[in-house]
Amino acid sequence: MNRVSRSILTSWFCLGPRFLPFADAASEQMPLSRLLRLSLFQVSVGMALVLLVGTLNRVMIVELHVSATLVAVMVSLPVLYAPFRALIGFRSDTHRSALGWRRVPFIWLGTMIQFGGLSVMPFALLVLSGGGNAANWPAWVGQAGAAIAFLAVGAGLHTTQTAGLALATDLATEEAQPKVVGLMYVMLLVGSIVSAVVFGAFLRDFTPGRLVQVIQASAIATILLNTIALWKQETRDPGRYRKKAEGPPPKFSEAWGTYIETDGARRALIAIGLGTMAFAMQDVLLEPYGGRVLEMSVGATTWLTATLAAGGLAGFTLASSILSRGADPTRMAMTGAWVGIPAFGAVIVAASTHSVVVFASGVALIGFASGLFGHGTLTFTMNRAPKDQVGLALGAWGAVQATGAGIAVALGGILRDVFGTLASHGVFGASMAGPATGYVMVYALEIVLLFATVIAMAQLVRKGGDQVPTGAVLGKV
Amino acid sequence: MASKDENRVWPTGLTEAESEELHSKLIQGTQIFGLFSALAHLLAAIYSPWLG
Repeated sequence: MNRVSRSILTSWFCLGPRFLPFADAASEQMPLSRLLRLSLFQVSVGMALVLLVGTLNRVMIVELHVSATLVAVMVSLPVLYAPFRALIGFRSDTHRSALGWRRVPFIWLGTMIQFGGLSVMPFALLVLSGGGNAANWPAWVGQAGAAIAFLAVGAGLHTTQTAGLALATDLATEEAQPKVVGLMYVMLLVGSIVSAVVFGAFLRDFTPGRLVQVIQASAIATILLNTIALWKQETRDPGRYRKKAEGPPPKFSEAWGTYIETDGARRALIAIGLGTMAFAMQDVLLEPYGGRVLEMSVGATTWLTATLAAGGLAGFTLASSILSRGADPTRMAMTGAWVGIPAFGAVIVAASTHSVVVFASGVALIGFASGLFGHGTLTFTMNRAPKDQVGLALGAWGAVQATGAGIAVALGGILRDVFGTLASHGVFGASMAGPATGYVMVYALEIVLLFATVIAMAQLVRKGGDQVPTGAVLGKV
Repeated sequence: MASKDENRVWPTGLTEAESEELHSKLIQGTQIFGLFSALAHLLAAIYSPWLG
């Protein structure tokens, strides 16, 4: 490399951090480049998520003509694995490794399983659709194959993400944690948005061969991204192995019992569950609501997703900068829940006023509020995680969060249909018989859930670790 | 890191327990990849038979 290009390169390095919102996340132990590299696992998780719930969802219905019910079942399978995140976190905390690793084996295991699931996925989907020679085989073959592929991708991404977030918590100092959380969320968002666009572009001229290429390319991308992310990140501590090798292996139930009684852990998990459900229930409803009730075009409703993401990005950025100045993350999460209430209110009002502007600003505000809430709860979980239970704490957060979101998305669709059918039969009166009622009922329920979140959260705010936690006292009575 | 451990074997500088652990990871990885590969081949053969 000659002198000119070297100096250009150096100036890029100096220029770079100023344009990244989370540049000063690097503490002495964790330079920015390493932190950015670690967050690549979130890109692969985002890619897998968007593939499962977005791209393949559409491909199965539109191009492969699989029945909508079967598609819904397949897409929801990965959620079944979400509750096991607490167990994965615990296993990584107590992992007995001669090499002195706790997180790397699990990130790697998750990566392999996600890769495996993705490499089987295209063939499984083609057999599921009954194309080619598959029509000569019983239908359950394709269903079983697709179920295995979806479960494997889900198991892989949940394992990788749990161990990855635990590793990030291990590596970052407490002051740096808000920035780390912001970076992790942004990389997840970047991973999903970029891969949604890329998948969409490559699958425009759909052929079975192209499907195989695109999904298997994402499998290879998973291995590459995650390997780069975990390379030389975790400090080896063989001394830990010698300590742990003595005595019987610790039990999950005991560890869980201890953790749930620590300072407000139970209450925090309840609040996280309620809040996540409140923000997730609208997920599959916003676009049809915009289309059916506000008569927006397909192109315009796609912009809603972008608006939601932009709101989320603003939320993460703001939360990062405020929390890194030492603000209370529980207060941040509660603010998110409060802001969510008028946001859903605006979405409801948009139906009666037929105002797209009100609707779009409501959507942006929902994204913003859920950004504040998500950031606040994850930072809170990282801050309060007991040193030897980091994996369990992050696993519990992920389990509640992913399960809550999965249930809420399914529930949102079901409740919309139930309330919509009831309304069209005039159960709520003639004035409520329009198509908007089903949606509005769900949005109203989300507001109720947000109020419940605020109430659950209220006791956590500024309750320092030095006070006697009410949860622990109640648990002993 | 305890570099003065006399159990370390060079040139890798790993102890026996450490190399056994690495080996078990290699075996585990081969098993997982082998299993998924077999499944992928089976499904591909069902979709478009490539054996006769």
